[in-house]
Amino acid sequence: MGRLELQNLNISYDNRPIIRDLSLDINDGEIVSLLGPSGVGKTTILKAIAGLLPPASGRIIIDGHPVDHLPAEKRDAVLIFQKPLLFPFLNVGQNIGFGLKMAKIKRLAASKQIDKIIEITGLTGLKNRKIHQLSGGQQQRVALARGLVLEPSILLLDEPLSNLDAKLRQQMRELISNVQTRTGTTMLFVTHDQSEAFAISNRICVLLDGSLRQTGTPTQLFYQPADPDVARFFGCVNFIDGQIDKGMFQGDFARCTTSLSDSPKAIAVIRPEDIILSSDKRENGTVGTVTQIQFEGSTTRVTIETDNKTFTALSLRPDFVVKQSVWLYFPPERLHIFPHYQKP
Amino acid sequence: MRVGSQSSSLSVAGTGRKTSPGRLLILLGPALCVILLLFGGGLVLGLLQALGHLPSQSFDVLGLQHFINVLQDPDFGKSLILTLYISITSTLIAAAISVLLALILIRWAADSKAVNFILQIPLTVPHLVIAISMILLLAPAGLLSRLLSSLSIISGPSEFPLIVNDGWGIGILTVYIWKEVPFITFMLLSVLKNMGTELLEVGATLNASRFQRFYSITLPIIAPSLGAACLIVFAFTFGAFEVPYLLGRTYPLALPVWAYKNYSDIDLLARPEGIAIGLIIAAIVILSIILSQILLHFSRKRGLTL
Amino acid sequence: MRLQRWTLFSSVLLTVLLPFLPLILWSVSERWFYPDLLPQSFGPRAWSYIFGTAGSQIASGLIASFSLASVTTIISLVLGIPAGRALGLYDFAGKKIVFLLLILPIIVPPLSVAMGLHLWFIRLGLAETFTGVVLIHLTFCLPYTIFVIGGVFSDYNPDFEEQARSLGASPVKIVLQVILPMILPGITVAALFSFLLSWSQYLSTLIIGGGKMLTLPILLFSLMDSGDRPVAAAVSLVFVLPAFLALMGSAYNLGRSGLKGVR
Repeated sequence: MGRLELQNLNISYDNRPIIRDLSLDINDGEIVSLLGPSGVGKTTILKAIAGLLPPASGRIIIDGHPVDHLPAEKRDAVLIFQKPLLFPFLNVGQNIGFGLKMAKIKRLAASKQIDKIIEITGLTGLKNRKIHQLSGGQQQRVALARGLVLEPSILLLDEPLSNLDAKLRQQMRELISNVQTRTGTTMLFVTHDQSEAFAISNRICVLLDGSLRQTGTPTQLFYQPADPDVARFFGCVNFIDGQIDKGMFQGDFARCTTSLSDSPKAIAVIRPEDIILSSDKRENGTVGTVTQIQFEGSTTRVTIETDNKTFTALSLRPDFVVKQSVWLYFPPERLHIFPHYQKP
Repeated sequence: MRVGSQSSSLSVAGTGRKTSPGRLLILLGPALCVILLLFGGGLVLGLLQALGHLPSQSFDVLGLQHFINVLQDPDFGKSLILTLYISITSTLIAAAISVLLALILIRWAADSKAVNFILQIPLTVPHLVIAISMILLLAPAGLLSRLLSSLSIISGPSEFPLIVNDGWGIGILTVYIWKEVPFITFMLLSVLKNMGTELLEVGATLNASRFQRFYSITLPIIAPSLGAACLIVFAFTFGAFEVPYLLGRTYPLALPVWAYKNYSDIDLLARPEGIAIGLIIAAIVILSIILSQILLHFSRKRGLTL
Repeated sequence: MRLQRWTLFSSVLLTVLLPFLPLILWSVSERWFYPDLLPQSFGPRAWSYIFGTAGSQIASGLIASFSLASVTTIISLVLGIPAGRALGLYDFAGKKIVFLLLILPIIVPPLSVAMGLHLWFIRLGLAETFTGVVLIHLTFCLPYTIFVIGGVFSDYNPDFEEQARSLGASPVKIVLQVILPMILPGITVAALFSFLLSWSQYLSTLIIGGGKMLTLPILLFSLMDSGDRPVAAAVSLVFVLPAFLALMGSAYNLGRSGLKGVR
């Protein structure tokens, strides 16, 4: 079984607090990703779970057993590092079998397990290859195999795809999915790449400024961010102030129904691609001036200035020019109001 | 094959760059000529003399008589064993201490400029000075003996155990160990620093205990440098003169001491035998290097790992 | 942690400095008989002897050692830097053989080579001369230099020279203002290597130099034979001093790398 519980984890590095009060539950067989900008401390969380870094406070529970006082070598969690870090003095098969050797598993039995994992990770035929003869992608796979062969409760992966080019990344993504399906290993991986997290994970935890801001499925996070920081992280940068009165959000120029309780100060947010630009005036919107048009391929980024706010819209084929006056329409069903969040 | 102990070291491996033979000649030529002439010449001319040739004579008196005399001399076996004993023992002990010291330093004082500096001091002190110091320190009437007598542990020089000019060569070993430990330690430190802690973290997460991490990860990584350092130390101590001369017994003599004694003997006939001994020393040293390279090659081929 | 660091530091310091203790004590002792732990009477006899009566002998020993080591080092550098450049920068057929040729003089004890060369040096009139001793020292100082410089060049990026050329620098300027400054730390280490190696030579200097080239180690040896401990101790300290100063100087210049690798 591979259940992981983190309770009120506080992690410091060099006496600076990096992770604050992190609580998280991961169920058996889930693939969860910790998503956040670089440097926020995602790797530190993995290291703490693996036992390579002691947390300042909090509890780590694997399969119902607290492991806080267990050294790394006794925990049933394996960390796959960002760099393959293969042992240069061993070949592929020996690298993969390293953990088995440490657990004093007999050569014959170990060999069978190694061969099985080699097949699963697509490394057939490379068992006796020397490390320096492998490509980057192959090395990454050996690193993955080396951890998987131990059938750990939890597999921790630190940005497993970030060192790979686009094509390899796709292959690795598929590999991780396949492996997960075949072995049912619980996986927790950290990344700063949203598309990666969206592609592989069942659940995503957004980590900003050292604290866990929101957990949810990819669509939940994307369309229903819990707070402005999370919204901004996913590219949602259009904020509208207002208040909630009798089940109705009333913003400066937009309104929609809401089930949230009354509040004198509330913020609504709308995704750039949901703003509709037209030359005709409509309800639930405002007028503004186009200040910048940036062609980005399939979509074009249009920046519009209104009286007191700047809006960013993503349009398919806009036919405006800079300095033109345009009407922004905010469809009420696309407005998302932050629950429990009040403007300070 | 790599030589060098700093982070940049020379290896036979390819750099990928080529240049014209003419340029190579200008760059390498002079140095190689000098070395070939002096070193190669020295060995060849020594060999000729050891084979019986004298400058005024022709070359048809060459023979292996001098070598045979040396090899058949009962003193040869004793000297060889003594010299091997000194070299192997000092190398092994120095290696063991160095590995320990390097591990401790990496853990607790990796960036300490002070420790780094202090550890470099022995590198600059000539063996001769340390030998003299050991005489002053460890002789029966030396400083250590005086300390023990002032503590009433012994009552006189005669009660102090003989550790210089003694049968176990303790004084000699001490000098070599004192000098060579910093040398080996620094070679290991640079490898350990390069390795960093990441591979050990990988080992830990793959269930390796502290000892397993040392034995199965650290040791294989430092093994090449350690081996090279040990070979250099062995070769040096095997052919060194000053220390066994000052701190050794009068019988048996270490091979280099015996070689020079013969060479400087009033009896001119002993000279070629001295040269022969010198060449045998050179041969043994070269042989041990070749042997170790062969062993290495074989163990690599077999995929033998720790 | 602090306790462990401190224990480590002090035990290393003690072990390293211990050999100097008897040398220093003996050099300043006037009378020192068993079983006294400290000299019964201190006095500057040994030192004043060195700087006074025997001054010229010691001084000439110093000068001999110093000039031998310096000249050897300079020639090593002049020949060794180009060779190191070739070895470190380029691939060529026979590189392995060259490597072997350079390793051998370092591994094979100097005495084997010195005994062989001696007779021929006598015939060539090089025995008991400055030049002769320089040559024998060169036999092993040069390979060392080549290896150190070679190591520097294997990390070196020759694109800098190309860049300088396209910026209009002449070959001479490139050597003086691009190459040499960049490999200066390596040159310093190689020079120190070579200097110390030559400085501490005994037997090879004795064999080739005969009784004429009286370097400090040769003087030291005869002092030990004579049994005058205070003077021997004092001369030992004089002998160590320049090497120690070189270490201080290099530590200042080279920072952390220092002299590691010097045997």
